[in-house]
Parts: sequence; C-alpha cells; structure tokens
Amino acid sequence: MAGVSVFNQIITMKKIVLLLLGTVMFWGCSDSGPSGTETDDFDRQAILVNWADNIILPAFEAFAAETESLNSAANDFTTEPNAQSLNSLRDQWLATYKAWQHVSMFEMGRAMDIRYRDNMNLYPVNTEEILENIETGSYAFELPSQNDTQGLSALDYMLYGLGADEASTLEFYTTHENAEAYRAYLSDLTSRIDTLTDEVLGHWQNGYRDEFVSNTGSGANSSLDMMVNDYIFYYEKALRAGKIGIPAGVFSGSPLSNRVEAYYSGEYSKELFMEALDAAQNFFNGTHFGSEQRGESMRSYLEFLETTKNDQSLAALINNQFENARNEAQDLNNNLAEQVNTNNTDMLMTYDQLQQNVVFMKVDMLQALNISVDYVDADGD
Amino acid sequence: MDLKKLFLPILLVATAISCDVSDSDPDTDLETPATYEFTRNGESTVSFTGQTARIKMAMELNDAMMDFDNSTEELLLQMYRNQTADGGNANPFSRQILNEETKSVKEKVAASEDFFSSNTAVSAQIKSDFEEWISAQVNEVFPNENVLAEPGVPGQLADGTTARYVNAKGLEYDQLVAKGLNGALMADQMLNNYLSTSVLDAGTNREDNDNQVLVDGTNYTTMEHKWDEAYGYVFGNAANTANPLPNLGDADDFLNKYLGRLLGDPDFESMPQEIFDAFALGRAAIVAGDYNVRDQQAQIIREKISEMIGIRAVYYLQSAKNLLNQESPDYGGAFHDLSEGYGFIYSLQFTRVPNTNQPYLTKAEVDGFLAQLTEGNGLWDVSLETLDNMSNDIASKFDFTVEETAN
Repeated sequence: MAGVSVFNQIITMKKIVLLLLGTVMFWGCSDSGPSGTETDDFDRQAILVNWADNIILPAFEAFAAETESLNSAANDFTTEPNAQSLNSLRDQWLATYKAWQHVSMFEMGRAMDIRYRDNMNLYPVNTEEILENIETGSYAFELPSQNDTQGLSALDYMLYGLGADEASTLEFYTTHENAEAYRAYLSDLTSRIDTLTDEVLGHWQNGYRDEFVSNTGSGANSSLDMMVNDYIFYYEKALRAGKIGIPAGVFSGSPLSNRVEAYYSGEYSKELFMEALDAAQNFFNGTHFGSEQRGESMRSYLEFLETTKNDQSLAALINNQFENARNEAQDLNNNLAEQVNTNNTDMLMTYDQLQQNVVFMKVDMLQALNISVDYVDADGD
Repeated sequence: MDLKKLFLPILLVATAISCDVSDSDPDTDLETPATYEFTRNGESTVSFTGQTARIKMAMELNDAMMDFDNSTEELLLQMYRNQTADGGNANPFSRQILNEETKSVKEKVAASEDFFSSNTAVSAQIKSDFEEWISAQVNEVFPNENVLAEPGVPGQLADGTTARYVNAKGLEYDQLVAKGLNGALMADQMLNNYLSTSVLDAGTNREDNDNQVLVDGTNYTTMEHKWDEAYGYVFGNAANTANPLPNLGDADDFLNKYLGRLLGDPDFESMPQEIFDAFALGRAAIVAGDYNVRDQQAQIIREKISEMIGIRAVYYLQSAKNLLNQESPDYGGAFHDLSEGYGFIYSLQFTRVPNTNQPYLTKAEVDGFLAQLTEGNGLWDVSLETLDNMSNDIASKFDFTVEETAN
C-alpha cells in the first residue's frame, strides 16, 4: 500500500506542477507582442531586400504585364470571336497561368487582405455556378461563395471546358443564343484578374515594399517570419497538396482526377506544377526573378548558421530534395488527370518526394531559424 | 519510516480517490465485454431505434439549415418538431422512415427527468431557443446570402476557401443548433435521464430486471432498454453499433463525431475507450443484477461526456483567439470557431458532475458567457482577453487545463 501511495503522490504532485507550469506558460504566451530573441547576427534585412527587389516585385511586374495582355486578348476575342483570336487568347492564358506560379506564394500584405490566391486560382471550379452566373448575368465576384467561379481556373473552363473541341467552344461565343452573356462573362473574368493584380502590385510599389524590408526584427510579426510561414504554407497546401496530393487521393483514399489544376485544358497540369516547383526552389535559393543570379535567402541563412542534419548541410538537403521531386515528376503524363487514372503510384511517389521537403523546411529549417509555425490545420468542419 | 511522511501521501491518495471515480475497483467478477452485444434465448436484447432516428432527424435539420435554395422556415421548424405548426402530421424529411416516426427532436430537448421534470419553464425556454435560431436563419441570414457580412450586417465571410454565413453579430445559426443539440438533446437525455437511478430504477424496474420480466412484445427488460437508450445517443448511428470504436467519428455530427476528435489529442485519446467500456460493463452489470457496478459506470460516463463538451468549448475559444490574434485577423475562421464554441458552451448546462445533481456549469454561468459573446456587435467586438478568461473559467471546473485542449 505504501508503494502505491508514493506513486500516487508523485502523480498528484506532477499534476499540480503541470497545472502551475501550464498556467504560468499560458500567461506568458498571452502577450501579443513579438516573441523570441535574435538567433544570431545574420543580416535579416539583406534577405528582405533581396526578396522584395529581386524576386517579389519583378515577379509581380511580369505577372501584371501578362494579366494586362490577357485582358486585351480577351477583348480581341470578344470583339471578334474566331479560331485565331481564340487561340491567341488560349496562348496568353497559358503564359499568364505560368507567370502566376511565380507570385502565388506571396500571399501577404494586400494579397492576404483580399485573399488573392483564392480569387485567382481556386480549383476545381464550380461549373454549375459559372453557368448560372452567365444565365442570370448577376454575380458579385467579391463574395467568398464566388471564389470558385472566377480566376485563371474559371478561364480554363471557359476556354476549354464548354465544348469538346475548338469549333464547338467557339459556338458558345458566336451562335449560342446566350453568346453575348458568355462573352461578357469572359471579359469580366480577365478584367477582374487584371484589376486584382494591379491592386496587389500597386500596394507593393506604393509603400508596402519599404514597410516590408524595414520590419527586420524576429518574432511572429516580423517580415521574415511571416514570409517564411507563407512560403511553407504555400508549399504544403497549394503546391504539394493542391497540385499533386489531392488529385492523387492522398487525403481521400482514392484518386480524384478532376481535382488537377487546369483540368479542362488537359495537357498543362504537369507543366504548371513544374513551373511552380522551380519558382519555389528559386525563392528558397534567393535566385533573382528571370536570372540565374542568387542573393540572400533562406539558403544563405542556413549556410551562415551551418545548419546540418545527419551531418549534411540542411540547405543542400533541401535543394537535393527539390531535385528528387523534379526527377520523380519528370516522367509523369503531361495530363496529371490521366496520370492518376492510369498509374497513380508514380503520382504518389512524386507526392512522397514533395512531402520530404515539408519535413526539412517546416521542422528542421524553422527550428534552425527560430521561427514558429503560425498556422494550424483546421479541424475540418 | 516517519509517520508524518507516510500520512501525507495517504491523505493525498484518499483525496484523489474520492474524486476520481474511474479508478474504482469494484468488488465483482464482472468482466467488461469487448463489444456491446447482449442476448437472451439467442436473440439480441439491445434496442435504441428512437435514438438513431433522432440523430438522423437532427442531421437532416443540420443540412437543411444551409440549403438556401430549398429550405423554408416552415420546413425547418417541421424538421425540429416533426409536426406542422398546429400539431398535425408533417413529412419534412427526405427519408420516408423518419416521416413515419412519431418521435421528434424537440420533444427530447431539455427534457431529462433529473434536470427538467420540475423545471418546465426553463425547458420550454430552451426548446424555443432552437426555434428562434432556426427562424432567424431563414429570416435574417437567407435574405443576405449574397451580401458581404460586416458588423451589424448578416452575410458571407470567407473561412479559407469556404463561405460562412453569419448573422449581424457574426454568429452562424446552423452551428448554434448543431452544437447546441450535443448538450440539449444528447447529453441531457443520456446523463440526466437514462443513466439516472430515477429512470433506471423507476417503478418496479429493479424487481422486473431481477426476475427477467420483459417489456411486452420485446426481448428486453425496461432497465436494459433505458441503458441502451443512453448508449444510442453516442453510438446509435454507427455502422457497427456493437463495435463502434473502429469507425468512431463517422456516425454523426454530434457526440460520436466529437468523441472521435479526442483520438487526435494525446491528452485525451483514451477517453472514447473508457466511455465505451463503461457502457459495456454497466450493461453487463444490469444483466447480472449488480446495480452498484452499474451506477459506478454511469458516473464514469457522466464525467467523461461532460469533460468532452468542456474540452470542445475551450478548444474552439482558443482556436478563435489565435485566428483573431494576427495582423490581418481571420474573422471568417474565428467566427466559425466561436459559433461552434457558442453551441458547446450552451451545451455545458446539460453536463453532470458525478455523484451530484449539478451540471459543471450552471445555466446562469452559461448565459453569462453567451451574453459576453453577443453584447454590442457580438463576435466583431469580442476581445482576446474575454476569450482567455472564459477558457480559464470553463477549464477550472474540469480536470483539464486550457493548454491540454489545444489539439
């Protein structure tokens, strides 16, 4: 009995200590100011400047030029709908979609406030709702419930999903009894894509860039912590899960081929994924937009800290892992929907390679950089 | 050995034992059955069809609350009452078998023997809370389906890629109804009615159970059936009701679902098995006529189901706090959590402290919390400090900490 008593006493004491500790920790956390201390004397601002001036702003400028061209290609098409103007619009749509992969990860500042990514590229799109919008001519794109009726993904449906081929697609914009409404909807889509993009770019150009690079501290509200969190969130949710994992059925148990990006055009889903993978790796390395030159980055920060894992440089491990994912994806069908329907194992193996970098970046890198994860998975209801 | 040293641990243990019923070691040969299967003469004696039906009715009501295109106030109220406004027969459900039922959700809301049999004014108020939420969904939120919500204006808010539909104070009525039923219907019926000696031992139940006097036309004694009805409110809609834990969480949107959520939290992952075991052992005890063991199991279930509701309430308050506490507050995500939290806080008044006739939080305490969430512009105004204080107040009534709820 005595032995049991002592044991129970220990448990009880532990509980009390835990409770006290918990309370103390709880109060400690409830301060809303930045937490954590400088990990080191690395020049964090140099990273922010490189990101803003050599990557983020140039990528947005390039993307804004594409969205403007997209809008005018759509105007050309709706003014004179024919095979030639349709193909020009389709080409410009693809160019825009590829450029998008270089800015999608920067969901901060105005982009975060307006939930830019959800308005630009949510898929699968709700085709029933799109057709209803066209039918009624009444829709407000700023409503959250309209996220899946607009953006580049909705254009994919409008340009490739309405008809089985080019001729039947054209009919919707020419001889269809509601052709005018189809043309109007198409114009509204490209116009909104362009407007939102100008808004985000304008915000960066008019003050936010300076705010961003001068917020050099550490802690949850510093630019570095926020950007790294946004980047990893993007990598985990939009790139790993959205482009590969969800269609491969990682989260549902069986493949969902209609969940791939650019589903209706068919042959571009892999190309868009590869573009996004390049963009993500470039950002990790601090590679300037549209150039091979590198600047300060997560990579150089890790190298400065000489962070290792299993005696290997963590920065090298992460780059190596990007390479592994790229190699694994190399042989996938251009149409990832076909891939999951014919050989989903290869798709799952690509996912596994992508997943490994979630571990390297979200666990190992964040620990080395003393950054806390600022997002949690919702409980799903 | 120093006697004082010995005395202190004993005292502590004594204290611990007296308030921790789950560790009691009954002086009995009864084994806890691995599955919830009981037979007499080769036929099952287990029955909880009424509970399964009410769970299904409530799930249809949940879905219909968000069906902007097809639902009317009349239809939703009929789903709640399974009657027309003047008491006539109604057929509001998509499943014909539910329309044929004479049972309803409403009749069992705030209707337990222990808490409400002599408290009918409060019972009526609670029953009508749900009707007010249902009506307001149609009258306030439906007309603003395509409006962006802001303080004082019902409408849509983005929660990730999902649109949430809130009232002028930021609350989702459908969540109030769905999460409120966890307490007002399921927990109240289970903890304060079917597991109570006032119900289990009513009339000649003990004598009948001892003598295996069966209810006419059935294979069970009244006492067996009452216990099963409690079980039905957690496991009654499971794919395998005899062995429900392997698919825990999939059976409904109510207690089963949220019991399943505990599996994801290392602090509480053993609770579902403990609850199931208590149900199975208690039922075996009824068969064996061992009413002490039966009642000990009932206290375990009261404690754990109550705790689960408390854990969810604090979890949602904290989750909302974190979503609000950032540079661009995530109002849509936070308000969704707070709407769920509102329903679980509401449910706390139906919990039951073991070996007492009291809930963990009184109705007055619950109403006080809810008033804090709805004053002024409601959720749009709520401070992080309020959410923390509320979390601490609730956790302090239970044997868990605010931190432990974080998963």
